[in-house]
Amino acid sequence: MSSDLDRQIEQLKRCEPLRESEVKALCLKAMEILVEESNVQRVDAPVTICGDIHGQFYDMKELFKVGGDCPKTNYLFLGDFVDRGFYSVETFLLLLALKVRYPDRITLIRGNHESRQITQVYGFYDECLRKYGSVNVWRYCTDIFDYLSLSALIENKIFSVHGGLSPAISTLDQIRTIDRKQEVPHDGAMCDLLWSDPEDIVDGWGLSPRGAGFLFGGSVVTSFNHSNNIDYICRAHQLVMEGYKWMFNNQIVTVWSAPNYCYRCGNVAAILELDGNLNKQFRVFEAAPQESRGTPAKKPAPDYFL
Amino acid sequence: MMDLEVDENDLKAAGAELFAEDGRRGIRINGWVIETRRHSILNSSTIQEWEQKLDTSHLPEMVFGENTLILKHLGSGTKIYFNAFDALCGWKQEALPPVEVPAAAKWKFRSKPSQQVILDYDYTFTTPYCGSGTIESDKDLDERGISKETSDILWEDCKDQIDVVALASKEPILFYDEVVLFEDELADNGVSLLTVKVRVMPSSWFLLLRFWLRVDGVLIRLRETRMHCVFGGNTNPIILRESCWRESTFQALSVIGHPFDSGAYGDPSFISQKLPIIMHTTKKLYNLSCKKQNSLGKRKCMERSRRFHYHSH
Repeated sequence: MSSDLDRQIEQLKRCEPLRESEVKALCLKAMEILVEESNVQRVDAPVTICGDIHGQFYDMKELFKVGGDCPKTNYLFLGDFVDRGFYSVETFLLLLALKVRYPDRITLIRGNHESRQITQVYGFYDECLRKYGSVNVWRYCTDIFDYLSLSALIENKIFSVHGGLSPAISTLDQIRTIDRKQEVPHDGAMCDLLWSDPEDIVDGWGLSPRGAGFLFGGSVVTSFNHSNNIDYICRAHQLVMEGYKWMFNNQIVTVWSAPNYCYRCGNVAAILELDGNLNKQFRVFEAAPQESRGTPAKKPAPDYFL
Repeated sequence: MMDLEVDENDLKAAGAELFAEDGRRGIRINGWVIETRRHSILNSSTIQEWEQKLDTSHLPEMVFGENTLILKHLGSGTKIYFNAFDALCGWKQEALPPVEVPAAAKWKFRSKPSQQVILDYDYTFTTPYCGSGTIESDKDLDERGISKETSDILWEDCKDQIDVVALASKEPILFYDEVVLFEDELADNGVSLLTVKVRVMPSSWFLLLRFWLRVDGVLIRLRETRMHCVFGGNTNPIILRESCWRESTFQALSVIGHPFDSGAYGDPSFISQKLPIIMHTTKKLYNLSCKKQNSLGKRKCMERSRRFHYHSH
């Protein structure tokens, strides 16, 4: 069984997708593991925290080159494995296979893209359909998304979540009571954890001009960190040119792990390494060189646009 | 990047020359220098500078601040160019009210946190921008020599149309490129994208500046500006500029039988013809040398090109 899984991991590391039946079996096993996890999953240090990947498979391989292989390095991924990049299928399946193989050495939490609705617009659905000729693999994967944990707590000191805070949540225990096994709702605490953003120009809470989506300011973070006795919050969700960004006097940090996002932004990516004493080291890395990517860069033909 | 195989003979026959160096590429042809520059998105400190200059605390997530398309006519000193800064000045000035996403209806019933601030800027970054331009002319300072004077270019209304038939002919393309000026994912509620692309043929150049907005489940907006310049012997180039704004709600599109799901609207080219036109203008570059002969009355029909200039390059 584990030799089968090891073979699948090797195959996925070459960016070759699994067969549909293998995906189905892998997802079933993953479900058994994930269902046991808490909404605030406990993680031990040392651990390396990674932000959004967005299907940039070859750049994730750079990440593992910089951060070390799993299981040697203990990883926490903050969600947004899929959409936008070319290899959401291979990216998510590799992470999931590692999770099944080494459940205590890799933690995957849910991002706002791990949702049926979002993946139908931003790429993962189409990619599954293209690579498998049916949407079954998309169904297996999105069913697994519902089981992913919502947050992680490292050594009781660092709270990690994809998006940010919610006005409906002031204690970690309130997160623990959420029934997470569902599609990401359009509002409420679970939605906020996956969608909200820190914002410099508000101190308390802000409402996005879209009419949905919370923004939270420095005083919200201060009081959350204080009441839950945590040192800082580590989140992802927003592109940062420099790979990571501290806000509000180092009370919250954004970590972004998709270099040259969408293959054109030219940004660097970062991961945050915490040693056994929670000492921090950011490791910044660039996109995989063109020649290490499977396919050559497409040269769009000049177009007789009108 | 978008290297393309151009037939050397086509270039030679057109008397044109390609060039490329650190992020810049372009072509010299018929008295024009046409180039694109392509770089990374702005870093955090430059974003702060821009926020101060534009007096805003919100910029698109991806501002390709140094990307540009520049078309310079050497003989007349006419320069037409496109950049994100000027486009964002237009966004600031137009300042449309925000568009609510579908989830907003539900959110109205959520309990409000204390001290909630509602942000109200136009997060779609909709801009009326249709390009920037200057003319650099020699000013005679009597005995003291000549100094360079830079003025904004002017456009006048005209009845001419861009010759689409000529543009549809498969003349060889000697130079082609497309650059992104800014892009925002509307926090995964759609897309806002400003790009400009250009193609240069032996007989003319043609460009398309396109602002593409999709607010998922709500609105599609397409603002396009096309410019066409047929190479001629004149000292002053003749440039036509057509702007066409199209817009529709998802609701209105589904009523006439188009899909409601956002996935169907990934590429603006597919939907463009189905969107109703809400504004259309055609203008011609105003010829400076005529200005001297004409009375002031003529100036009434001039549209002053928008004064969105970024002088700190």
